[in-house]
Amino acid sequence: MNELALKVVDGVKLDEERRALLRPGDTVHDARGRARVLPRFFYEIDSWDQAKRTFLSPHFRLSELISVDCREAALLLETFPHYVPCAISILSRYLEAFRQKADAPVFVSANGGYRSPAHALSQVASPHLWATAANVYRVGDTFLDDPASIEKYGRMAEGVAPEIFAKPYGHGEHETDDHVHLDIGYVTYVPHQAEDAA
Amino acid sequence: MPSSRLILRIQEIASRTNLTSVAVSFYDYETTVHFSFHAERAFHAASTIKVPFMLAVFRAVDEGKLKLESRLHVRNRFRSIVDGSTFRVSSQRDGDADIYKQRGHAVPISELVKAMIVRSSNLATNLLFDYLGRDYIRGVIEEARLAGIRVERGVEDEVAFAQGLNNEVSAGGLLNLFRLLCERQFLSEKSCQQMIDVLLGQEFNRMIPAKLPDNARVAHKTGEISTICHDAGIVYLPDRQPYIVVILTESGPGQEHRQKAVASISSAVFHYLTGTVKRDE
Repeated sequence: MNELALKVVDGVKLDEERRALLRPGDTVHDARGRARVLPRFFYEIDSWDQAKRTFLSPHFRLSELISVDCREAALLLETFPHYVPCAISILSRYLEAFRQKADAPVFVSANGGYRSPAHALSQVASPHLWATAANVYRVGDTFLDDPASIEKYGRMAEGVAPEIFAKPYGHGEHETDDHVHLDIGYVTYVPHQAEDAA
Repeated sequence: MPSSRLILRIQEIASRTNLTSVAVSFYDYETTVHFSFHAERAFHAASTIKVPFMLAVFRAVDEGKLKLESRLHVRNRFRSIVDGSTFRVSSQRDGDADIYKQRGHAVPISELVKAMIVRSSNLATNLLFDYLGRDYIRGVIEEARLAGIRVERGVEDEVAFAQGLNNEVSAGGLLNLFRLLCERQFLSEKSCQQMIDVLLGQEFNRMIPAKLPDNARVAHKTGEISTICHDAGIVYLPDRQPYIVVILTESGPGQEHRQKAVASISSAVFHYLTGTVKRDE
């Protein structure tokens, strides 16, 4: 099965409970107070097994990019279908390119791919809510938890494409010290299968 | 043996093993004997604080805030309660190196609880402390009316340690916590039993159980740092009701016999309660 087998769903047509948690098309604000509009179209995932069987790119399964812990809203965590913004397939292409450049397996942490706006870590708008960010905690056998490895692989990620942003090493709010955060900004993707987006 | 002789025996063991401070408390469900020796004195909790943390986990389960099968992201990065500075716990100083292999993954809460208790994992402890939050844990302890247990922080928060912000326990406080479990109070019966089952899996058995008969089962938690050596738990013996015993000790740095001291005190308590002849220690 590949991503094309996933059903595309208009988030505004979801039931009220899920809409309240996923907030399709809502405006949220980033850490600097800038307004961002959340994605409206989602892939529908029927089961965890489907997520594990779905390769978005040759080395990245959908399951790895939607793994969250109990900080996620219970309804989204515990009941299927799950919904993930369609841009996750674009993210996987960039991760694939990064993996190729690193010439080693790249591992994305739990809570490090897509998180819903209702996730406890989603205090402000971050590209994780768009499914366009990944927290890479390990490349090959190297755990990214020191300045040298974080800066090395951060620079490498940014070298893959100009769209990629990697947070610098540090302990502050917009820095990282135990993974490489990379994202491609607040990208939304409306697949051809999507119904009227007006 | 009258309790005055037990006190003399405890003092003799303490003197022989160079303990600078000792507190002992026990309650026997067979005889209803309750014994206290410096039971109100506050000690640095060391890893015995992990039992109150576990109580808070199971309280959250009973309140529907948490499920034991829920998963938590394993991340070795914590913030000091003092200034928010980041710190990591050391795998070399941790009783359970396996949890470190799970970095990046989400692990069931039940697995973290087990690691925190049976192998005294500091990483698992801090993950649970971080998730529950200090205020919630304090609230649980207050609601359970466990005087003598003071929660300040997770483990290896060196900035907090430097400011004297340490978790504290008293023998009386821990005794009351274990009584809640035995008497099926405060938590649901299922949660009480699950906590006891976790404690029965303890892998560090060189103190309370060390000099007990082979058929004794002990649901307990140890705690050791530089000058501190504690053990607390429930002792199950065949054909009698269990008893709870808490032994807290402090000594100068580098004391080699402190675990033996706790084991000897545990043995003295056992002989006192069962009326059996005391072996030479």
